[in-house]
Amino acid sequence: MEANGLAVELAGIWKRFPGVIANAGANLKVRPGTVHALLGENGAGKTTLMNVLAGVYLPDEGTVSLDGVEQHFAKPADAIAAGVGMVHQEFRLIPTFTVSENVVLGSGPPIIAKSTIEDQVAELASRFGLATEPGREVWQLSMGERQRVEILKALWRDARVLILDEPTAVLTPGEAEELGRITAAMAADGRSLIFISHKLDEVTAFCDEATVLRGGKTVAESLPVSELDATRLAELMVGETAEVSQRRTRETDVGSPVLAVEHVVVRDIHDRAIVDDVSLTVASGEIVGIAGVAGNGQRPLADAIAGLIPTESGSVMISGTDVSGTSPRARNMAGLSYVPEDRLGVGLAPRMDVVENSIMRAYRALSKGLLIDRTGASVYGDKLVEDYDVKVGKMEAPVAGLSGGNLQRLLVGRELEVNPAVLVAAQPTRGLDVKGVAAIQQILVRQAAEGVGILLISEDLEELFALSDRLLVMHEGEVVGEFDPDVATRQEVGAAMAGAHKVEET
Amino acid sequence: MFGYRFIRRERPLPGGQVAAFAAGVLIALLVGAVLLVASGNDPFEAYAKMFDASFGSWRALSTTLTRAVPLGLAGLAVAVAGTMGLWNIGAEGQIIAGAIGAAWIARLGPDLAGPILIPAMLIAAIAGGAILALGPALARARLGVNEIITTLMLNEVAIRVVRYLVNGPWKDPEGQGFPIAPVLPEQSRLPDFFSRANIGVLIAAFVLLIFGYYASRSRWGYELKIAGSSAEAAKYVGVSLKAKILTVLVLSGAIAGLAGGIELTGSADRLVEGVANGWGYAGIIVAALALMRPSGVAAVAVAFGAVQVGGLAIQTLGVPAAISDIIQALILFGALSAAVFSTYKLTRGGLGAAEPTGQDEDARATV
Repeated sequence: MEANGLAVELAGIWKRFPGVIANAGANLKVRPGTVHALLGENGAGKTTLMNVLAGVYLPDEGTVSLDGVEQHFAKPADAIAAGVGMVHQEFRLIPTFTVSENVVLGSGPPIIAKSTIEDQVAELASRFGLATEPGREVWQLSMGERQRVEILKALWRDARVLILDEPTAVLTPGEAEELGRITAAMAADGRSLIFISHKLDEVTAFCDEATVLRGGKTVAESLPVSELDATRLAELMVGETAEVSQRRTRETDVGSPVLAVEHVVVRDIHDRAIVDDVSLTVASGEIVGIAGVAGNGQRPLADAIAGLIPTESGSVMISGTDVSGTSPRARNMAGLSYVPEDRLGVGLAPRMDVVENSIMRAYRALSKGLLIDRTGASVYGDKLVEDYDVKVGKMEAPVAGLSGGNLQRLLVGRELEVNPAVLVAAQPTRGLDVKGVAAIQQILVRQAAEGVGILLISEDLEELFALSDRLLVMHEGEVVGEFDPDVATRQEVGAAMAGAHKVEET
Repeated sequence: MFGYRFIRRERPLPGGQVAAFAAGVLIALLVGAVLLVASGNDPFEAYAKMFDASFGSWRALSTTLTRAVPLGLAGLAVAVAGTMGLWNIGAEGQIIAGAIGAAWIARLGPDLAGPILIPAMLIAAIAGGAILALGPALARARLGVNEIITTLMLNEVAIRVVRYLVNGPWKDPEGQGFPIAPVLPEQSRLPDFFSRANIGVLIAAFVLLIFGYYASRSRWGYELKIAGSSAEAAKYVGVSLKAKILTVLVLSGAIAGLAGGIELTGSADRLVEGVANGWGYAGIIVAALALMRPSGVAAVAVAFGAVQVGGLAIQTLGVPAAISDIIQALILFGALSAAVFSTYKLTRGGLGAAEPTGQDEDARATV
């Protein structure tokens, strides 16, 4: 160990991508034998910074040091050789290989004796208290077990520094606790762990110190977690000078409810309640915002309302009609429109052209007998493109070639052109440039003024504060708070997003 | 990681696909010319002969069109399934099943009048192909079983069934021991169209035209496109993926079956083991060259037929059969490369460089 006694030191890291600065002079210092939390909102630059440490990206400026020695990683293999391991959010395992085969893949002996390897992997696992069955094939495992295989992979390569990118996002609460024990065992062995998270309760439970990133910069470095509380953390993450942009002024009174969701529960394939007893209503002319860190049930909630995934229990009413258990199309006909998070794929068909995508909700009406009325379809497409200001080259070109903003205007336009009673918009402005964001927000505001009820799911707090009449916060599948954007502060909402209610309860 | 790779073009190639095809075929002809010179032949003479034999006279044209019939129908069968991202590799077996169906009707009613017998044979052929495709269709729609494997394996089943028939119960007692079925009744032959072509050419042209039009203009074709482009989008707008998979694969089998029926009522005079003659597999190439568009299949089938007819003809000039085969293969290869380059471009770059925006996985329909 060198003089500064740091296992990892990232100093003044800059990383620019076309149009985006992901890291703007970020710092991180991790002491050996500790679990270090790396916190920040989406887009704060956490994953980029960790990819720099793991050799995936070369930093534009700044230095990476391990145990006081400056490193220059040209490729991930260099970082692995230097003892840095990373468990990505999406696991990189071969489903049809066994646990032990996945663990030794690429770094095993040239001739692999199955039983020997399995014994060695089992021994390694037991050293750190990782419950695993080395002979089982990965496709049979739960997400928690798969994650342990990823951790074993890193340990097999003798990682001294292990990065866990939002490791608990895919875990059940029980598995998350288990992970806490594993990280503690690894730290006790003298290894360092970097734990990327949004969740305050985990940070306080599993971590020793925390570094907070905001806008690509380090805003708090190596704070002891004992000094953290939800309010302080929320302030650090979202910024203290939360200047709320132009608040929408409502022109019409809120009408009758057009969307009523009651006690909806959705479970994933591992029987985890990813939407947990959610109830909400949206009235005509109202914009109800849903805030939350990605992966806290917003997406399955939206898909369940649209009828794309089944609900276990609970009911959905659209304009007074009970549509629980019906098809997406039945809900469309009851007055629901949906702008899904995946605008290309779920929303639009990438390889079909502009006209074909425009008429997806209206083609049945545009048909004459068995044939589609081509003139009517192209008039419909032209009108949509003009009304919603979609910039297209040729109407016959696949929409995959359009920019994000134009795709979204086309999709939003298509969904609004059928005069819905309620619009569910999931992350409608994510990834768009400033102009695109403004255009979509204006469309939403205008539609609300015309009486459409809008459920707006977003990770952008500023947007939610500016547009919403009411603001709900989702955390781990539940609605954990309702705020009035006129009086609530970003800190209050941010704390709810980070799961502060849980910490306070305990 | 830093090698060359293909990515899908966001926009079609400027100048269009026709120019790409022309360039691909031209390069193939140039390479072929080198081979012809090396084997002591005059390339100009050989290429002139190829053209003359396939398009130079009514007789040549009728030969080419006759060749194009099974190629076009098999190609259409594959392309219809391909519209929604499904691969029917079983056209070969479905052609055999169609031929068996047609032959069976001829055995049942050898004395029926032609205007009754021929339609009955063709309908039985359509049913035969459809029945063979039904299993893979159900398995794909209900259980998600990969149709490539099931349709391919059924080819082997169909071959063995026809082999059993012509060696056993349907064997011609006057066939001198050859594994062939008896000659079909005279009135089961399709009427002549012109020169060496029968009206099977018209039937195939009609089917190709109808589907080319219908697939691009109808609600059905539009829904197929959505289902093939994005399973999620299809679900959202109320297009049933299962129903589409089922109808498309059965229809695909029916079209291939019709090819077997036309073959039996047309060119072939009896059922033999090799009745499908590889057309089912050639149909995959035809569909690929037509970029999986039913509307493009007819033109490709005629061109493909011409290359085959012309390739055979140059052997009469003393060009070795091997060189003739190579030239045919080169032309197909050139055209196929053009098809690839008109939809994809070759780039050099590492991870994350210019990722295609469309998700290619979406092309395959999933249940």
